[in-house]
Amino acid sequence: MKSLELLSSKLAAPSNKFSFGFLAVSAVGFVDATYLTAKHFLGEPITCSILHGCEQVTASEYSIMFGLPVALLGALYYLSVLLLITIYLQTKQRAPLLLVSLLTLFGFLFSLRFVYLQIFVIKAICIFCMVSATTSTLLFIFSLTFLKKNKTNNTPEELSV
Amino acid sequence: MEQNEQNLSHKERQETKREEKINKQMEEKNKKKMQSAILWTVITVFVVGTIGAMIALASKKSGPQFAGGTVKPADASDWVKGATLAEAKVVLTEYSDFQCPACGAYYPMVKQLGKEFKNLAIVYRHFPLPQHDNARPAAQAAEAAGKQGKFWEMHDMLFENQKFWSVSPNPEEAFNIYAEKLGLDMEKFKTDFKSATAKTKITSDYQSGANEVDGTPSFFLNNQKIQNPKTYEEFRTIIQQAGGAL
Repeated sequence: MKSLELLSSKLAAPSNKFSFGFLAVSAVGFVDATYLTAKHFLGEPITCSILHGCEQVTASEYSIMFGLPVALLGALYYLSVLLLITIYLQTKQRAPLLLVSLLTLFGFLFSLRFVYLQIFVIKAICIFCMVSATTSTLLFIFSLTFLKKNKTNNTPEELSV
Repeated sequence: MEQNEQNLSHKERQETKREEKINKQMEEKNKKKMQSAILWTVITVFVVGTIGAMIALASKKSGPQFAGGTVKPADASDWVKGATLAEAKVVLTEYSDFQCPACGAYYPMVKQLGKEFKNLAIVYRHFPLPQHDNARPAAQAAEAAGKQGKFWEMHDMLFENQKFWSVSPNPEEAFNIYAEKLGLDMEKFKTDFKSATAKTKITSDYQSGANEVDGTPSFFLNNQKIQNPKTYEEFRTIIQQAGGAL
């Protein structure tokens, strides 16, 4: 934990407002992914009226990874981000931020893969999956701003708070 | 003595100052604790609430939302397509008006459903709305074609050409052309078109739905009114849930 803290001391501390934005976006992602997970386990075909294809996408072989539904992994991902940001808001320690930026990087890469699969392989678009792709991309962009070293925020004094 | 008093008061003042400082710190700490408790409560409520709400939402049957009462079951007097009434597991009854644009929009969907499902019977009942001047004559044309066994052929023809004859001041001309195209006996068609049997059938169809139909088209699944599905997929799901087999 100590080395993690040391490593993350290079991260810029986001403002409270920014953190709440982070919370809001991951909350949206969490609701979306939880809905898909519930649908997956309660087993009713997903119908969406805006864009067709929810059924094809969520029933495709790509909707399962490591034996788990992608939707569940997504829900856990958003939940982790949500909790880590909350911990950060409480403790102002930066280790959770480091974890968040790692998580969002993976989230973003997975989203890229899923968007690619939807467009080029399954050839159907699932609107709920696209919402999740949007939120995870936003989270990734948000977390990139941590990496911008903020000198004024990086004094030891700040860190000990 | 005086000096002593002064000293004491000075000491006292210092003491109170320190006390104030400690109190302030304690207050700040409590405030932070409160804030933290509130934040965690909000997060917990949100997470648990979301999971609960989504499970409820997902387990809610998205299928047939029965939206009203029932109409009389289909019988031999009805026009039936797809599976026969005896072998059908699901009967979809449509109250429709040949001139209504929404009915025209549903026409390809209903036709596709009939092709896709094996055990679905589709029943057509006339519900010509009073504001559509050509709807009743169109229904008569379909009835007249039905007398020669071509009800559904005329039904398709009417919907497919809806935009042409519905604005015509003399739709009968168009209906005659369609009848000819279908290879009907024109003399018989023209007589049946004006016959009381056709008119009575249309009126009795209308009356059978008058209490339940609040707009055209209205669909009934096994005689129970459903809310009009918004998409073909939704329609398909509803029929599948009712036991329709592809």
